[in-house]
Amino acid sequence: MTEATIALAGNPNTGKSTIFNILTGSSQHIGNWPGTTVERKEGTLKDNRVPISVVDLPGIYSLAAYSPEEAIARDFIVIARPALVVNVVDVANLERNLYLTVQLMETETPLIIVLNMMDVASERGLSIDTQTLSRHLGDLPVIPAVASRGQGLESLRQMLTALVASLPQSSNGLVRQLDPTGVCCRNPNPPSVVIPDIIHRPRVISAASPASPYQIQRQVELAFARTIVAQPTLISYDQAIEAEISRLRAVIEQVPALTTSCSARWLAIQLLQGDEATLAVVEKAEGGAGVRRILTGSLTRLEQFYDDDIDIIMADYRYSFVNQLVRSVISRRGQMMTLSDKIDRVVTHRYLGIPIFLTIMWVVFKVTTDLTAPFLDWIDRVISGPLTRWVIVSLGIAGLDGTWVESLFVEGIIAGVGGVLVFVPVLMSLYLALALLEDSGYMARAAFVMDRLMNLLGLQGKSFLPMIVGFGCTVPALYATRTLDNEKDRILTGLLVPFMSCGARLPVYILVASIFFPDHTGLVIFGLYLTGIVTALVLGLILKGTLFKGEEEVALLMELPPYHWPNLKTVWFYLWERTAAFIHNAWTIILATSIVIWLLMAMPSGGQITFADTELNESAFAAISRAIAPVFAPLGFGQWEASGALVTGLVAKEVVVSTLAQTYNVVEGEAAMESTMFHDDLTEIGASFVTATADTVKSIPLIIGIDLFDEENETTPSELKVPIRQSFEAASRGHGSLAALAFMVFILLYTPCMATIVAERQVLGRRWMWLSIIGQLALAWLAAWVVFQGGLLLGLG
Amino acid sequence: MLRRVLREIEALRGPINLYDLARRLEIEPGALEGMIDFWIWKGRLKDNRSGVTAAEVACSGAVCSRSCPGPQDCPFVVRMPRTLSVVLSPQDKGTPGI
Repeated sequence: MTEATIALAGNPNTGKSTIFNILTGSSQHIGNWPGTTVERKEGTLKDNRVPISVVDLPGIYSLAAYSPEEAIARDFIVIARPALVVNVVDVANLERNLYLTVQLMETETPLIIVLNMMDVASERGLSIDTQTLSRHLGDLPVIPAVASRGQGLESLRQMLTALVASLPQSSNGLVRQLDPTGVCCRNPNPPSVVIPDIIHRPRVISAASPASPYQIQRQVELAFARTIVAQPTLISYDQAIEAEISRLRAVIEQVPALTTSCSARWLAIQLLQGDEATLAVVEKAEGGAGVRRILTGSLTRLEQFYDDDIDIIMADYRYSFVNQLVRSVISRRGQMMTLSDKIDRVVTHRYLGIPIFLTIMWVVFKVTTDLTAPFLDWIDRVISGPLTRWVIVSLGIAGLDGTWVESLFVEGIIAGVGGVLVFVPVLMSLYLALALLEDSGYMARAAFVMDRLMNLLGLQGKSFLPMIVGFGCTVPALYATRTLDNEKDRILTGLLVPFMSCGARLPVYILVASIFFPDHTGLVIFGLYLTGIVTALVLGLILKGTLFKGEEEVALLMELPPYHWPNLKTVWFYLWERTAAFIHNAWTIILATSIVIWLLMAMPSGGQITFADTELNESAFAAISRAIAPVFAPLGFGQWEASGALVTGLVAKEVVVSTLAQTYNVVEGEAAMESTMFHDDLTEIGASFVTATADTVKSIPLIIGIDLFDEENETTPSELKVPIRQSFEAASRGHGSLAALAFMVFILLYTPCMATIVAERQVLGRRWMWLSIIGQLALAWLAAWVVFQGGLLLGLG
Repeated sequence: MLRRVLREIEALRGPINLYDLARRLEIEPGALEGMIDFWIWKGRLKDNRSGVTAAEVACSGAVCSRSCPGPQDCPFVVRMPRTLSVVLSPQDKGTPGI
């Protein structure tokens, strides 16, 4: 049977559990607090002649009972009334921790403060004047400790033991010793003769010099003396509030049911703050109606006096008190800046932030395009060479060579799906870069600097956060707008998100840019991404001033997580999952589309031509595409091959590449028709992979302009590149580069894909979905027209 | 101090990092977080991440189909930092609806 119960209270992660484990050892009981799922830990102070029960309360930041944990802790302290509360405080976060300390003192429960994590504070250059702290807290015992090393805890244990030794019968034993009449707890003017000398000689026990038993005994008596002789009112609220507290206190003290365990002053404070649980208890108590009446009058008077809720006013007083206290007891050695802070000084700088962001994105695209080019060529050669040969040979064995089946496999599936799979290294590189930026913590900074820019332009800054998601895929970016609670913000952001160039567009950019801008592929692609961002911002400004007028901007606080080295497992997960999604799309959507397109190419548009024996120009696909082509003629790419690709691109952007591959690819190259041995093919694949790897390594210095290649690094143009170039040149009357640029701008701005349309329908609604589709098509056409015609006027391309 | 924090936030004309705000107010970041939690509870500030889970943000397989690892593990959902914004009172919001 325990003689006393002691509670450990404090903020989460202050080391309470460590202290609890050291104090109680193996004599612990773990269960749940009644009626809750919150864990309850109770134990017995070990190696003690008299048992002391120790209860580890849930970690809480205040006694305001906002959460179940806070309610549990508060009820235990106020109603169960432990003999003592050991308030464990994290010195490195003193200002936050002391708010709870101040509230604990208001409960008038005997208190000891353990200043834990003194080592962490010291590492951060903090030093604390514990004596001044104790003095300002009414001479409470303050014990510095490093619980993880057991330092300071012996002093605590001795103090707790001395406490119980001075309570021979019960937890109120000391009270009886000091006040035989037994009424001093409720006597506002108790005998002042009680231990007067102790009050004037406060002692602080240092972890470095354990005090003598006599000193500990005196400290314990001091702690109890505070509750008996006089309770210093540490937080003195405003005069008006103190007047109402006094008024309420006087009434509460007339209600015995309310004061058997709770301090009258504390009850008065809780009632003024509007604590519903306390009010319910008061109203149920006999005589509580009178208290309620006085409370109503108090609140009415205070509401007339203050322009804010009383609980806010009172909390403000506590925070101000704690702030002043911390300033007087904490001194810092040097400026407290972490490495993350120092990096952020540059990365989120008002003027440097955006150029740094743009530079990083440029490096990402440069690396993505330049370093992966050798692997891109390798996959292309493998698909158009050995893989195609194996398929033809296999079909030949089955007697299907020369039939429409061979055409379906070679000109449909391999050309279509293979044309997209070639870009897997590019996508992997992009996803790797994005995963590294995300996991390191930089993406949060990117959102921060862009938010600042958007704010400057009068746009809702937090809208950029879903837009960042759009660089991977537009669909989750649209769903991410659900984080915006305001409907207008959600719709506006949802309309702008598709302009963030998603990963699926990248293969199209790589294909076209590498043909027409071989020396500046990375720069062109970077420019396209930038164009998408600028378009979104400009469109956002226009919509803000028209359809979405009148919405006030609100400031945005952002909690930037500390930088850290990317976790390789996490990075690999995101890299693999995103690439797998891309490859999966290739085997589903693109495969299906390739077969459909092959069918349309195999079907004649009229005449006597038979199925699968059709010239491409006379196919159904060509006929349909020709019907649409004139729309794109003013943009410089009025050839039916390009318009057909753009239509199929509505299914998925990667399909543009597969359609171009099927449309321009005619016959497999000579390499595919050569008769080779299987093992020769495998050797060729392995050797070319090694060459590609070596070329990739040699490409690294190219990023900064150092060319390590011995000869001119020109890859052999594939069969696809030549016809595409010729086609664009012919359609634009010799301005192929300009037309290609206009084509890419169109790709950037027009409707992303069917999945996006579905997402828009769900997130924005039918009306806004149609507005988005039509608006994007119109904007894409207009922008491409400006690029081509404007370029012609300026004599470019 | 508590009300001063809210006034500072309401007076902001652009985004600010929590730690920069703490430095400006000369309070510990932990104490600022405590005050911000108080204002969130009072409804004067809003945590823009509260109530929204990854499952609600992810598209639940619409794009990735059978290779979808599930909404909680969607690789396309970029983990964004915690952001807080001031809750405008009805008279500050202007004309509702479009």
